[in-house]
Amino acid sequence: MFKLLEGPQTLGRGKIFWSCFLTVLAGAPAYPLFADSYDVGNFAYFLIWIFMALGLCLMWGYGGMLSFGQTLFFGIAGYGYGVLAINMGGGTATIAALALSVVLAMIAAGILGYFMIWGGINGIFFGIVTLSATLVLAFFLGQTAGPEWHIGPARLNGFNGMKGMDPLTVGDFYIEGSALYYVMIALIVIVYLALRMLVNSGIGNVIVATRENPQRAEMLGYDVRKYQLLTFVIGSGLAGLSGALYTSWGQFITPSSIGLPAAAMPIVWVAFSGRSDLTATLVGSFLLLFGFQTITVYSQQAALVLMGALLLATVMLAPQGFVLGIGKFAADWWSGRRRRGAGAVMMEAGRLRSEES
Amino acid sequence: MSAELFSLFYQFADVFAFLILSAAGLAIVFGMMGVINMAHGEFIMCGAYVTVGLVNLGVPLAVAQILAALTAGFIGILVEFLVVRRFYKRPLDSLLATWGLSLIVTQSMLLIVGSAVRGIGTPEGSFAIGGYTFSTYRLVLFGCAVAVLAGLYTIFMKTRFGVIARATMQNAAMAKALGARTGRIYAISFGIGTGLAGLCGALYAPTMTLIPTMGATFVVESFVTVVIGGANVLLGTAPAAVFLAMIRMALNASYGQIIGQIGMLVAVILIIRVLPEGLSSVLVRRGR
Amino acid sequence: MALVEVKGVSKRFGGLTAVSGVDLAVEAGEVHCLIGPNGAGKSTLFKLIVGLYPPTEGSIWFDTVDITAERPYARVQRGMSIKMQAPSVFKELPVRQNIQTALQERLSGAARIAEEDRLLTLLNLGPDSEKLAGALSHGQQQWLEIGMALALKPQLLLLDEPTAGMSPEETFRTGELIKSFNAEGMTVLVVEHDMAFVRQVAQRVTVLHLGKIFARGNLESILQDEKVAEIYLGKTHAH
Repeated sequence: MFKLLEGPQTLGRGKIFWSCFLTVLAGAPAYPLFADSYDVGNFAYFLIWIFMALGLCLMWGYGGMLSFGQTLFFGIAGYGYGVLAINMGGGTATIAALALSVVLAMIAAGILGYFMIWGGINGIFFGIVTLSATLVLAFFLGQTAGPEWHIGPARLNGFNGMKGMDPLTVGDFYIEGSALYYVMIALIVIVYLALRMLVNSGIGNVIVATRENPQRAEMLGYDVRKYQLLTFVIGSGLAGLSGALYTSWGQFITPSSIGLPAAAMPIVWVAFSGRSDLTATLVGSFLLLFGFQTITVYSQQAALVLMGALLLATVMLAPQGFVLGIGKFAADWWSGRRRRGAGAVMMEAGRLRSEES
Repeated sequence: MSAELFSLFYQFADVFAFLILSAAGLAIVFGMMGVINMAHGEFIMCGAYVTVGLVNLGVPLAVAQILAALTAGFIGILVEFLVVRRFYKRPLDSLLATWGLSLIVTQSMLLIVGSAVRGIGTPEGSFAIGGYTFSTYRLVLFGCAVAVLAGLYTIFMKTRFGVIARATMQNAAMAKALGARTGRIYAISFGIGTGLAGLCGALYAPTMTLIPTMGATFVVESFVTVVIGGANVLLGTAPAAVFLAMIRMALNASYGQIIGQIGMLVAVILIIRVLPEGLSSVLVRRGR
Repeated sequence: MALVEVKGVSKRFGGLTAVSGVDLAVEAGEVHCLIGPNGAGKSTLFKLIVGLYPPTEGSIWFDTVDITAERPYARVQRGMSIKMQAPSVFKELPVRQNIQTALQERLSGAARIAEEDRLLTLLNLGPDSEKLAGALSHGQQQWLEIGMALALKPQLLLLDEPTAGMSPEETFRTGELIKSFNAEGMTVLVVEHDMAFVRQVAQRVTVLHLGKIFARGNLESILQDEKVAEIYLGKTHAH
């Protein structure tokens, strides 16, 4: 089973890659020991969004389905967590609320995905239908300011946002600060490794094959629609996980984390990082979130302008993604330096890039 | 009785005009080049701001609106030249690029102009039939929507440009081989598309609050109309708008705006399941 | 026993009738060639059998089951395997992964890797197994696709002009390969217009002309049929 951690669908293999991976993994738990708690909390906050990025990477990079609906499912699970946590009471029930809200997002993705995929929607239209659904949810939630909009004791509260839910709790212990940080690290490692295994498995083969040539995949006896739906449900479910964790982290969610410009953010992270590889997405999204947060302190608009500029620059200069491109170049340079002269490395890098475009 | 009928027509006309005006520009660009212009909403915003700015300088409303549409069209041609042109073979990338542009423009506007600009107010004028009062300006908007459709019909069916444009739409390589300057046709079509977006913003500017993010108000309607209508503006967008306007009108009347919008989206999702190629495919097939 | 039966099938596209009232039976264990001049409706009939188009009229049966309403993947799961006319492979994936995607439902572990190696050698693709499929030559891509079709170990192999773009030597090798699989019990239906290839592999031949069955029989009788020669062999493809 662990053989599936490596395969043709994921870059980053061999001893060097896994030693880096283990070094980061060993360093991560040590971080809260010497950083102050504010920074640890911030760090945990960046990690929340990574699931959403990995989900989009799976759908777009591996499955060829460009979903603009990540924040739709983020919102469904985010509000779902709030409603459930408030209604079920705090305490350990919040863990159940987290799980149920992610399931809720996956069910929603299943329904929307069924109609789109069985209706033969793909390419650009897949994006704009998912984006339309996202914006409609954001508009709808924006209109729920009145007291009549409530589910049990949970008030949706329009643009002012929903609040009053407990954070994730086990017994009397609130999972916050460095505890939340450890939970996030564990979840990310699990999700990252599980996705690596998925894409390198037989199912992963069919998912990529469907991206490349859906008709050929069908002619090999695969009902490609089912594989696409599976991909969409998993990818959207990961956005849901981000949403539920987000609400639990801040005990607060507003429609603005669903609508524009929020809906564009996962696209920017994944496009900039390199959609065709999970590791590139993981690293790149983290870097972008870090940069974004740093600039947001001064001006959120400026940070968003930068994100727009990065998206434009990615598409114009490195359509396969900057982080992936740099990673490939570095890997080639490294293996090339050992095997051949430096001249051959440059040629090799050029060849790789021309194959990509 | 006739007052009630007219009231129904008025509600229909209101929604229909909104759908046509917000979608026509997007549909032309999509139909001609297969490109979804994600900055469509920002061209609408541009039209609205230019209109309000000119009116505040003392320019008469109608003149300001025409100038605003022209400005949006001109900026569109510039954007086509600088950005969109590179991506005709990669429609998904052109969507991403224009989305990046949209983010840049919206957020820069927020930085520079701030969140709200003083509006100009809906032009006065109303009339009454039976017990109902109607705003004249809403009927003017309907008239404009019909005029836009008529104008597009004339441009694409009756002019030399239209013939070449339709040929390019069918088969760009062949049109090019026959001597059509496809690059220029694309640029002009993109300009017409963004100009129509600007017109939409200009026409609705008096009726709404101006904020840099106002484009988002229009995009859902324009997206779903194009999704249902397919690639053919004349045979697709117009019938799609009629159909969606009826659904929306029925739901708006009994349940309010937001349920109308949700209902429209649900209808779209159900329809793509049944008619994957959009309404225009059915109409085109019937037409044969 | 007929493995595939096409019963009274017609296909109209708007006003154009591409296939009209065709009956066709492919017997289990034979190599059956479907020939005819350009525009005869061969490819349309092929796509109807494969399930890419629904027929306007008539029904299609596989192994005594009516499959008219089934999608292509379901037909493949019943034991059909298809190679389309233009090479259709997963271009951005390595050659081996192309084969693997076809094999993985049937075999796993070491048995799968052994079968991958066997097929790659058989198709002369061994040295290129780590290349991206899109980097192969046109002929090699045709081979790779035939390999993917064979990997499913089908009861019925459907080939639409499998030798298009191949050199005479490659064409000959393809023919021998098809014969060897037929000898192991695989039924084969080939759409083809290269008569040398048809002579090499066919046991029975159906001639399609203007969307209708024009003649059918064993290879010798078709080759000697003067009317067939007139519409097709004599004018365009006498060898």
